[in-house]
This record gives sequence, structure tokens and C-alpha cells, in this order.
Amino acid sequence: MAYALTIEPLGQTLEVEDDQTVLDACLRAGIWLPHACCHGLCATCKVQVVDGEVDHGEASDFALMDFERDEGKTLACCARLQSDVTIEADIDEEPDARNIPVEDFHGTVTRIEQLTPTIKGLFVELDRPLDFQAGQYINLDIGAEPGMSRAFSLANAPSNGNEVELNIRIVPGGRGTTWIHESLKAGDRVKLSGPYGRFFVRESAARPLIFMAGGSGLSSPRSMILDLLARGYAQPITLVYGARNRAELYYHDDFVALAAAHPAFSYVPALSDEPAGSDWDGFRGFAHEAALAHFREDFRGHQAYLCGPPVMIDACINALMQGRLFERDIHTEKFFSAADAQQVRSPLFRKI
Amino acid sequence: MDMQVPKKKLGLKERYTLMTRDLAWDTTYQPKEKVYPYADYEGIKIHDWDKWEDPFRLTMDAYWKYQAEKERKLYAIIDAYSQSNGHLGVTDARYLNAIKIFLTAVTPLEYMAHRGFAHVGRAFPGAGARVACQMQAIDEMRHAQTQIHSLSNYNKYYNGFHDAPHMFDRVWYLSVPKSFFDDAITAGPFEFIVSIGFSFEYVLTNLLFVPFVSGAAYNGDMGTMTFGFSAQSDEARHMTLGLECIKFILEQDPANLPIVQRWIDKWCWRGVRLLSIVAMMMDYMLPKRVMSWKEAWEIYFEENGGALFKDLARYGIKMPACAEQIRQEKEHLSHQVWSAFYNYSGATDFHTWMPTEEEMQWLSQKYPDTFDQHYRPRFEFWREQQQKGNRFYNKTLPMLCQTCQIPMLFTEPGDPTKICYRERDYKGSKYHFCSDHCQHIFDNEPEKYVQAWLPVHQIYQGNCFPEGSDPTAPGFDPLAAVLEHYRLNAGRDNGDFEGSEDQRNFEAWRGMAKRND
Repeated sequence: MAYALTIEPLGQTLEVEDDQTVLDACLRAGIWLPHACCHGLCATCKVQVVDGEVDHGEASDFALMDFERDEGKTLACCARLQSDVTIEADIDEEPDARNIPVEDFHGTVTRIEQLTPTIKGLFVELDRPLDFQAGQYINLDIGAEPGMSRAFSLANAPSNGNEVELNIRIVPGGRGTTWIHESLKAGDRVKLSGPYGRFFVRESAARPLIFMAGGSGLSSPRSMILDLLARGYAQPITLVYGARNRAELYYHDDFVALAAAHPAFSYVPALSDEPAGSDWDGFRGFAHEAALAHFREDFRGHQAYLCGPPVMIDACINALMQGRLFERDIHTEKFFSAADAQQVRSPLFRKI
Repeated sequence: MDMQVPKKKLGLKERYTLMTRDLAWDTTYQPKEKVYPYADYEGIKIHDWDKWEDPFRLTMDAYWKYQAEKERKLYAIIDAYSQSNGHLGVTDARYLNAIKIFLTAVTPLEYMAHRGFAHVGRAFPGAGARVACQMQAIDEMRHAQTQIHSLSNYNKYYNGFHDAPHMFDRVWYLSVPKSFFDDAITAGPFEFIVSIGFSFEYVLTNLLFVPFVSGAAYNGDMGTMTFGFSAQSDEARHMTLGLECIKFILEQDPANLPIVQRWIDKWCWRGVRLLSIVAMMMDYMLPKRVMSWKEAWEIYFEENGGALFKDLARYGIKMPACAEQIRQEKEHLSHQVWSAFYNYSGATDFHTWMPTEEEMQWLSQKYPDTFDQHYRPRFEFWREQQQKGNRFYNKTLPMLCQTCQIPMLFTEPGDPTKICYRERDYKGSKYHFCSDHCQHIFDNEPEKYVQAWLPVHQIYQGNCFPEGSDPTAPGFDPLAAVLEHYRLNAGRDNGDFEGSEDQRNFEAWRGMAKRND
């Protein structure tokens, strides 16, 4: 039986499976807790149990002393829930997080648009409005198989009422995206759950923002930008958007128009594989190269939000750091899983 | 009516900040440069100490409580171990020689680390960094103490454990660890934190802990093993501090990058040279082996260190240039160092021996490309000579490397049949080096390394004899005088393990423990 785990000071609640450790559940939900050895010896992941019962598992007697057990401490890497539990962990507070509870939603597909040769826009009218923070994602039930679901970022602004938009690239051979691209049609009923994720704008820092998107990774930045512009965000906003060629670059005209209407918003599209003779007069190259050129290799004072394929994210992080923007100001949609923890990876960075 | 608004509970981070760095103040009647005189001269530029992220949040009250409980537990186990004659449960008395090296070469380093961290815990202008370093200074002091207490049990029964601090300052091979740490603590605060906090604690410490602590576990040494477990929860904090330091320095100013790169290059090589004694210990001194040095090196340096340098590349840091030579040396290191100690076994505080046939087979299997070809024939010859009553001892003094102070025993990269020598003229004197990398370190800071206290030079200059010795007196035996100065009992504390008092006693006592006669 699964239990609920609430993490303070975030106030976020997760569902934890029977055999799952607290650390694993947190990392999978995108919540980074300090950790190192992952098997109960080093005490880096010690947390306070504020409420509820845990099993300390294989925690070492030296890493978790008896008196600490009495005081309600536990090691997240070994602790398993015996009831619903609230822990207090050494995590930075996020004043901008709204911690909206996850719920199930039903809706009807209103239309499916071919945005690019590989990406479709799926529009769903929900039976009731979905409250979310721009940048968050939902899990969509895939009708091809019972119990199967896929995660997609919401591409619309939260103010959109009952209609949500998802931009979905077809993954060759992928069962979920093939079903959406080939079987799903207007009028079909769908079920989704959300909102999930901790990818949202840290507005309270009041800094100029850089969004870097690749391919269908445009969804979250689009939602965030539409939301910010609608609410009159006071700082400059730049979208660097990379695609392979002109055909894969979608919502291009919309962003050009937005940039014309909002002096604080700049739009920097980049094509990496556009035929040499085409009439494209924008940047040719990768998104990170376009960003370096646009900002003259100096990103200091900004906050960056990255969304796209892993190779692109990695190249963008390198470029940002070269331009002296560091981890605390770089946000990505990348999640850490237990598999990440086991892989040989240095603990130099926490979330990038 | 007044409404009581409930105060929001503080998060751990805010609480920690209030309890530590918020207690700091800016000086008003003395300028900052005079209060922190070492902060600038290394060329490291720090613009904003507030960007320092506390690597851990352990306040003093929690620290005392936690450590006190941990030590109560450790001492209970040490007591139980010594009262039940636990020393007779180790695999073989040869194992104890590894522990002698630990006590004389590693434990004093914990104390030096304490001094170094106490110093930088005063020298950094940022309060967050000062608090973290002071906390580590206390850890290091505790580690020195708990190691001495864990290991000194053996001094009741075995030779060579009797005067580690005295030997640390004098015995020739111990000048290697001593000069390593002297180099670090006489550097500026930023170089110290990069050398010890980052390079040593993060990149190399596992290579020290695995053989000694797992080695202890494998060989039935519960005292040392328990110390290891009790220290591990501190080590994780030390590693986090090292990582935070390097990130902080690199993020503060682009001008810091070349300075930090030079320090990483230097201290990676210095650390690898220092660990060559651990390589030997792992392959030759543990009767029950954990893994080979080469295997440990591949996991902890090539794999884990490789992942780290991959991440550091985002800051522009490159893998140190010495990495390629280190990769080649992993095949040879332990064999060459053991040969040297076998040669000079008359002047150390521990015993050496030739591996048994079964042990040589293990070495052949772990080092298929080098052991049989380059080392086995020599070892078999020495074993044969020893069995004929002709045990080989080298009576001359070796040439030492000016930088790492290790005898010139390493071979040329790419040619394991030729000893590697490098030399440099500096202000009219000639200086010798074991490698290109040690020579480069000298080239960067010649004025520091010309001052090196090289044991062999000091012996020849007559500075290592007991007070009142008269080297001109007829019959003066210089080697015997040096050993007396070291407080070593020649032939009892050292020499071949075969036929030693330690070997005889261990056998006799273990026999008594098992039989009724």
C-alpha cells in the first residue's frame, strides 16, 4: 500500500510506493535532497521526521545514532514509510512554488493540429479547469494499453480556461506517441493527471529571463512566456528557440508578433540544419551558439530556463557557464532518478 | 483584540544561517586587509562571500551531541576488542605492519589537517567558509585522537608502534607525508583548501580509506574498522566542503581558473606520489587482500575522478596533465615501492618480506602485463637469497626527489627498465627529481622547494645523530646512530618479518589462545 510523504519546507506531498525509499521518491519527483553514499553510511541525507512512522532500514549505527532515532531523525536513502509521513529536509525554500495538489481530469479532444512534420498540437477541453503553474506537466493516459501514461508539458498559459494544449513529437517506434499521432482524433475522451514538476519561473528574484528551447521542448517556455507577458513581467525576457530547419520551427510567426508587440520580449530563433540556399535570414547554428552570440558570451545577472533534448540541455549549460551564469540560476526540466544516482556521476552539481 | 499571527517556522537553511554566519560582524577599528592578511596574495579574486553555499548545516550543539555519542560507541568497541585479545584474531602478524604505517604516516596527517583547517578557518574573510573549516578542523583533531586510541592497543604487544610522533618528524620515509602536508599548510588559504579540501579529500581519500578500512575488515582488525565507520560520516561532509570551495572560487572570477588549474595539477600529482605507499600496502601487506591497487585506482580515480573532471570541464578545468603517466604507473607502482622498502628494511619501523608463491600468483593474475616480466624474477632471487641466509639489505643512502622526497625509484614513463631521473640547476645548485611532474612543481615555486628538509642530505650533514654524538670518534657507526636518533630498535622493529619477534610472539600467543598447554 502506498503512503503519502509531505516534504517541508516545500509543503509538497508525494505518493511513495511500499518498497521505495524516501530519497528515491523525492529524486523521482524532481526534489533534490542532499545525499552521497546512498546506502546508510555517510549520513548526508539525514532528515527530520515531523509526523508519522518510518522504518530506518539498513542505516548504520554510526550514521544514525540511537538518540537521533529517538529524536525522529532518519536517513532518507534507507527510510521506508510505515504510515503517511511528514519530513523536514535541508532544501531551499521556493517562494514561487504554489504546490498545487495533483488531481485526475477528464476531457474531450477538440482538435489535433500538425504543427511541424513531426510535432502535433493536441487540444483538450477539460470537464473542469486545471490549475497549474506555467512550466508544469501532466501525465496523459494512453489508450493503447491499460495503465500506460506519458508525461507532456502544458503548452498553454494557465489563464486558458478549460482548454489545455500539448505539443507532442512522434518518437519513432514509441507506443505512446504513435497512438497519439495515429489513433487519437477529435471528439475522443481522454484522462490526465497533474500538475507535476518543479519547473516554474522564480519570479520573486525579479531578474531578466532567458528561455532556451529545442524542438517540442518549446511547450513549457511558451506557457511561461505567454503567462509572464500577460501579467506584465517587468524584466526583459528572451526566447532562444532552436530547431533543425524552417519546417520544424513552429509558432514562429506568433513569437515574431509577440516580440513586435512587447519591447521587453526578444525572440532569437536558430536553425541548425536549414538548406544553405533557403530564404532564412535568422541565425544558423545551434541554440546555445545563438545564445552566446546574442548575449555576447555574458549571461551574468540573468536566470535561464532550459527545455529540450538532453544533448541540447548539456550544450546550453556549458554555454551559460562559459558566459558566467551558474547552477543557482539555471533551471532545467531534467529529473533525477534512482538510475541517475547509481550511474557514475560526480556530485559537483545538484540539478544540472 | 490583538490577533496572534503564528510565526512561520524557520527552514533548516535559515536557522543554520542565523546560528552561524549571521553571528559574524564587519570590523570597524581595523581595516579588513589587516584582519585577513592572507586573503589576497595568492591572486584569487572573491567579489561576494555571500554567494558561498553552506555545504552542510551542522550547528555546534548538534555536532557535540552527535560526535560524543559516536565516540562512546567507538570506544566501547575498542575496549571490547582489546579486552578479548582481539589482536590475536587478525589474519596474520604481517598485517600489523600495514597498521604501523597507518599510525606513523597517516595519523599525524590528520593532526596536520587539523592545523591547516584551523588556520584557514581564521584566514578566510567569508564567515560561511570560516565556520565550515573550523568544523572540519575539529573533525581532524578527533580523527587523530581516535586513530591513536584505536591503534595503540597494538603497542602493548608488537614492535614499531612505540613513538609515532617522534618518528614522523625524523624517519626518512616519513618525510614524504610530512613534507606533503607542510607544503599544503604553508601555502595560502585558497591553495590549502584546493590541495587538501578538494584534491586530497575529494579525489584521493577513498584510495586511502578503502585499503585501510576495508583492509582492516578483511583482516579481522575490528578496532581499525570501527574507527573507519565512525569517520565515514565526517568524510562525507569534508568532501562536500571541498566541492563547494572549488565551485565557489571558480564562479567568483574568471581570473581564478588558471590559478586553480595549476593547483589541481600540482596537488593531484603530489597526492598520487604520496599514495604510492598505500599502493604497496594494498598489494603486499594485507594477508587477505581486498582488491589490487590497480583495480582500486581504476574505480576511484579513473571512474569517479573521471566523472568529476567531466563536470569540472564546464568551468574550463582540464584533467591534470599527469593523468597519462599515472595511468601507466598503476601497473608498476606497488611493485617498485615494495622493492625499495624491502631494500631499506633495516631503516624503517616495520617489517618487510617477499610474497609467498601463492601471493605471487595473485600478483601475476592482477598484473598480467608487468609482474611476471619485470618483478617476479627479482623477487624470486631475493627470496632464494633470504632462504640461504643471505637476506639483502641496502646499506647506502638513496637519492631523493627534491619535491616529493621519495627515493628515485620510479621508472621512465614507457620504459620500466630504466630509473627516471630529472635535474635542474637553480642558483648554482643542482636539484634532482623523480619525474617531469615533480620537476614542474619545483619550477613553479623554486624558492619554496630549495628549502626542503631532505633526510638523506640531513644524515650526510650530520644532523640526524643523537645529541652529543661524535662522528669522528673511532668506531662510530653512522647508521646505528641514525636509527638511535629515530628511536628505532634495529633488528627488532624492522628487518625481515621472517624470524622477527613479532612473528614469534604472535604465533606463540595465538597458540596459547587455542590450546591448553
